[in-house]
Amino acid sequence: MATPVYVPRINNNDDEVKILGFEVVKGAKVSADQILGQIETDKAVMDVTAPEAGYLLGFVGQPEEVVKVGSVLLWIGKTAEEEIPEMKADPGHDGAGGASQTTAKARLLLARHGLSVDAVPPINGRVTVEAVERYLAESGGKVGAPRRGGEAAVQPLDPGPNVAGSVVELTREEKGMASTVSWHRDFAVPGYIEIEYDTAPWVEYAKFFQEQKGLLMPPLLPLMAWRLIQVVKEMPRINATFVHGKRYEYQPVNLGFTIQAGEALYLAVVRESQQLDELAFVNGLGDVLRRAAGHNLRESETSGATIGFSSMERWKVTRHVPILPPHTSFMVAHAAGHAGKAVLGASYDHRVLNGGQVVSALKKIATPPKHQ
Amino acid sequence: MLLDKDAIAAEIKAKIVEIAAQTGDDASSLEMDEIIPATGLIDSTGLLELIAWYEKHYAIPLAQEEINIDNLGSLTRMAEFVLRKKQAAA
Repeated sequence: MATPVYVPRINNNDDEVKILGFEVVKGAKVSADQILGQIETDKAVMDVTAPEAGYLLGFVGQPEEVVKVGSVLLWIGKTAEEEIPEMKADPGHDGAGGASQTTAKARLLLARHGLSVDAVPPINGRVTVEAVERYLAESGGKVGAPRRGGEAAVQPLDPGPNVAGSVVELTREEKGMASTVSWHRDFAVPGYIEIEYDTAPWVEYAKFFQEQKGLLMPPLLPLMAWRLIQVVKEMPRINATFVHGKRYEYQPVNLGFTIQAGEALYLAVVRESQQLDELAFVNGLGDVLRRAAGHNLRESETSGATIGFSSMERWKVTRHVPILPPHTSFMVAHAAGHAGKAVLGASYDHRVLNGGQVVSALKKIATPPKHQ
Repeated sequence: MLLDKDAIAAEIKAKIVEIAAQTGDDASSLEMDEIIPATGLIDSTGLLELIAWYEKHYAIPLAQEEINIDNLGSLTRMAEFVLRKKQAAA
């Protein structure tokens, strides 16, 4: 029989706590006393541990949610397939002013679809699985799609603005950007770190390279991107993503490079870039970026990035925090310098990388190769 | 299609002025023989836009090795390169 894990009390003065997050995912095998997640009040943070060994059947509370002490937080079963009982929830768990009762299974279903309990009309005063399913059917699929593994935070259904306006369809590129931003929000645990560095060595190196090779295009950014690819060879974990609780290190280095072409923002991809030498990469990236500027990118050049490089130097921006492209964990943020100094930053997925690793990678990228 | 060197150079300059204006720069004083990247009037993204436009407008697909200072470094060189490519194709 499934075992509920209740929200523990942190101190005598707080009857409600906030769920900070969970360290396990639905379906995971857990051992007795294993830390499952954390809760907090204004005064303290506490680990929630498993009372017994088993499998995590599902969450009732969700990260960032404020819940009553003593309400059901999650369920553990002897097997991963065990059913969660259809139970009456703690009345206090329905939120402020909630007149109806919501069953545990209904809460799971609501979370999976990113729905607020307030959106669902109760049946006989109760929000049950039947009530949620009826609401989903009547909504005609217009509500949120099921979330992967039920592990993402609850996203309330956006009722839309109540000010007069008109709906404008997104272009293909705008849809791509919206998709990227949504991945960053829903699936990454993003962080951002920057370091300050002297720009002169890189400027000098790029000038030397341009003159030596007779290039028309200033090669500074392609050369810095090539340096990033070399850093991957030393630190393969920056060319990775997070899949089902594990780090997934990519074999190829598919470098995604942001380029603004008119109104469109592309992430132009150079595949297998680890196989190219410095000049071949600079030329290869130049080809791809030229096609992007002409809105002629090939299909293979618009997806599959495993790592990213972004610059806003063009706009004289001195600091920016880029969005992580889907299934990447490291995106360099290059910016305009001032008086010989500039910041070099990176957005990163904290599930894959820690701050020290990011700083180490940034320091390497901030240092150009030696002249040959 | 214009096949006069000065007319071609004037078209290219107009495009450069347009691109430079995107980042708030004024390229109207660009001289015929100035090395365009060295002026700082348009950055690398602007140069990419210029080259993409140049290929399409004059219908001369460029190989990567042709994109260099000798062929495309100034208004004069860009205009002369159009004429050379058109003659070769004729």
